Amino acid sequence: MRKLFCPFLSFFLLLSSLLFAQNNSVNLQEVDEEEKYYGRFYGGVESNIQYYVEDSGLESAIVPDDQLRSNNYLYANYNYKRWTAGVQVESYEKDALLNYNPKFNGTDLGIFYVDYKDEKWNITLGHFYEQFGNGMILRAWEDRALGINSALRGGRVKFAPNYNMEFTALYGRQRSGFGVTSGDLFGFDADFFLAEYLNLYEKNQDLSVGFSYLGRYESFDNYPQLQNPDFNELTNAFSLRADYMWKAFYANVEANYKTKDGIINVQNLLSDTFAEPGNAVTFNFGYSQSGLGIDVSLRRMENMGFFSQREPSSFTNFEGDQSTSFDYLDTFINFTPALTKQHHSLLANIYVFQAQHNTSFEDAQIMRAGETGGQIDFFYKFKKGTFFGGKHGTHIFLNYSNWYNLPGTYTFNPPNYDVDFFGRGNKYFSDYSIEIKKKLNNTWHLGFNYINQYYDQRLLGGGDLVRADIITAEATYNFTNKRSLRFELEKMWAVGDRQDWFGGSIEYNFNENLSIYFWDIWNYGSDKAEERVHYVNVGGAYRIGAYRVALNYGRQRGGLVCVGGVCRFVPESSGLTINFNTAF
Amino acid sequence: MKPLILFFLLISSTYTFAQDELPSITIKDLKNKPVNIKSAFAEEDKVYVFSFWATWCAPCLAELEAINEYYDEWSEELNMELIAISTDDSRTQRRVRPLLNGKDWPYQVLLDGNQELKRALSIVNIPYSIVVKNQKIEHIFNGYTQGAEHELYEVIKGL
Repeated sequence: MRKLFCPFLSFFLLLSSLLFAQNNSVNLQEVDEEEKYYGRFYGGVESNIQYYVEDSGLESAIVPDDQLRSNNYLYANYNYKRWTAGVQVESYEKDALLNYNPKFNGTDLGIFYVDYKDEKWNITLGHFYEQFGNGMILRAWEDRALGINSALRGGRVKFAPNYNMEFTALYGRQRSGFGVTSGDLFGFDADFFLAEYLNLYEKNQDLSVGFSYLGRYESFDNYPQLQNPDFNELTNAFSLRADYMWKAFYANVEANYKTKDGIINVQNLLSDTFAEPGNAVTFNFGYSQSGLGIDVSLRRMENMGFFSQREPSSFTNFEGDQSTSFDYLDTFINFTPALTKQHHSLLANIYVFQAQHNTSFEDAQIMRAGETGGQIDFFYKFKKGTFFGGKHGTHIFLNYSNWYNLPGTYTFNPPNYDVDFFGRGNKYFSDYSIEIKKKLNNTWHLGFNYINQYYDQRLLGGGDLVRADIITAEATYNFTNKRSLRFELEKMWAVGDRQDWFGGSIEYNFNENLSIYFWDIWNYGSDKAEERVHYVNVGGAYRIGAYRVALNYGRQRGGLVCVGGVCRFVPESSGLTINFNTAF
Repeated sequence: MKPLILFFLLISSTYTFAQDELPSITIKDLKNKPVNIKSAFAEEDKVYVFSFWATWCAPCLAELEAINEYYDEWSEELNMELIAISTDDSRTQRRVRPLLNGKDWPYQVLLDGNQELKRALSIVNIPYSIVVKNQKIEHIFNGYTQGAEHELYEVIKGL
């Protein structure tokens, strides 16, 4: 590790001295009218450090041998006129935080690229991020909190003959850890914004259409068990989409198709015979005006698992637990977040639904081929001066979402399924919620939430059926226009799994730079004595300019940690966390 | 431990680089027209506030709403303009216009759908606002807490 870091550090220091030198020379040249352009150096640093401690009150807490672990990212770029080059050095020392992809190990170069851009062309060599449409056939992206970096390493050309159309062609291999997987990906995408051609802006309308293709070639040499497979080394995926808006109404539709591809069995192995094509359809429409919004999303996905390496890699951790690369969302070519409401309450984030786009046959009872369902989101503001609005108005949000397995016939051995397009199978999840926000006056702001959840763990990774009702109430008191105190109480009544919870949090904002908090969630209703624990956390954040430092000390509940509808599983632990980020 | 110490040395050295110049990056407006961040907002001595937000980011919406309450007063008193830059990717970008319909904000809105500008400014978390005068970044707000709009006012006034 020192091998790489020391040269890097000296490079950094050298560069900084160069920059100072430049500043001096610029000063000297001030007499000259023409200031020389030396380009721009920019980037960012992020560091997430955790110190895991023994905790006698939390039996299942994991204390790894390396108690101090950290994930660190240094992103540095240099831009000179139309050219930009950059690197991201990542350092997981000593080891990554608990339950990150084991392939994130040590310190190394994670991302590097060179990019050329003018008015019409943009050419990138090295790593790049990309998404076609909704991401149903390609999404190469980074989310550090989730431990995802699925950048492609290769080349990409974007061509925009004018600002109403754009074409993208790319080739690459997908990043996995500090390397790449064996699958070759090549794709093409076209977007057309038609409003100007059709004079739609004048009529307060907008229309755009798009088309994409992604091919994945992975040799069968990696899979000696395949003798005469019922699918090809090359898998093709297509996507068509259209977006339309008329005044306050809007609608968009996207259809995707993936050619026949092998499906892994319960041992995570491919076979000659278990192979199916996949497809997905999304339809979204809505209406919005001042103080009123309604949005409806419907989606059906069938066998849309799409991986740059068909069989996952498997790992055994220091505790002897088995996992696969799929558990870390590694080698996923496509990705779609769940279409459900993202709650901010602590207890409403225990049973979080994740989109089920894969086919998965776990045993003779649990067989899934995808998901179907929808979400309705409604917003209304009672205006100031009305009965419900009062002096400052009242906001109401309703959300209704239901997700099911695909209906049809499933057989476990030999694995096979035949599903219907319409209708619904076993219910995975539902979430019905109402949220009311009310500003009483300049000092008091109130909030209230009721959430009803149905979460069938039998179908979603193991456990029993959970039905939960959650109520939360929050209030913010503003001492001055900078100093405020927020407190929230939460209660969950649940049948199944760990049963009832109670929670509370207090947050104090000293000013725009500094805030501190304390929160506790208590699983008092669990049948198991060792689960009746308080998950207490205390911490704060300090921000100044581009710098942000956050500290947290407390207990991490084992389960899903989610960002924007995508989740990562974390084990129970106790300890101190430090997060730092800045830009330069 | 050594790598960590080195790492913090690196962090401290970032201070010397703290960037003050706007990158010359072109993103699109709501009608897909390209807008260059550096050249389009270059009126002498005018203060520009670039506020990064997304439809799914509750504190971002709270910040823009809060500023909206004072925006008329501010823009009358001070030579300033706020540009709201949506970082929604193609998953949520189609929610931007319907949301704006409902909000009726006075701001110019730009779309940074590929997050090119966000990356060029190394923004990790939104809300994130930069205050720019004469193409130089004068102040950065990383995050939003209730009432921070008053600090923003003070900063603009002080420039």
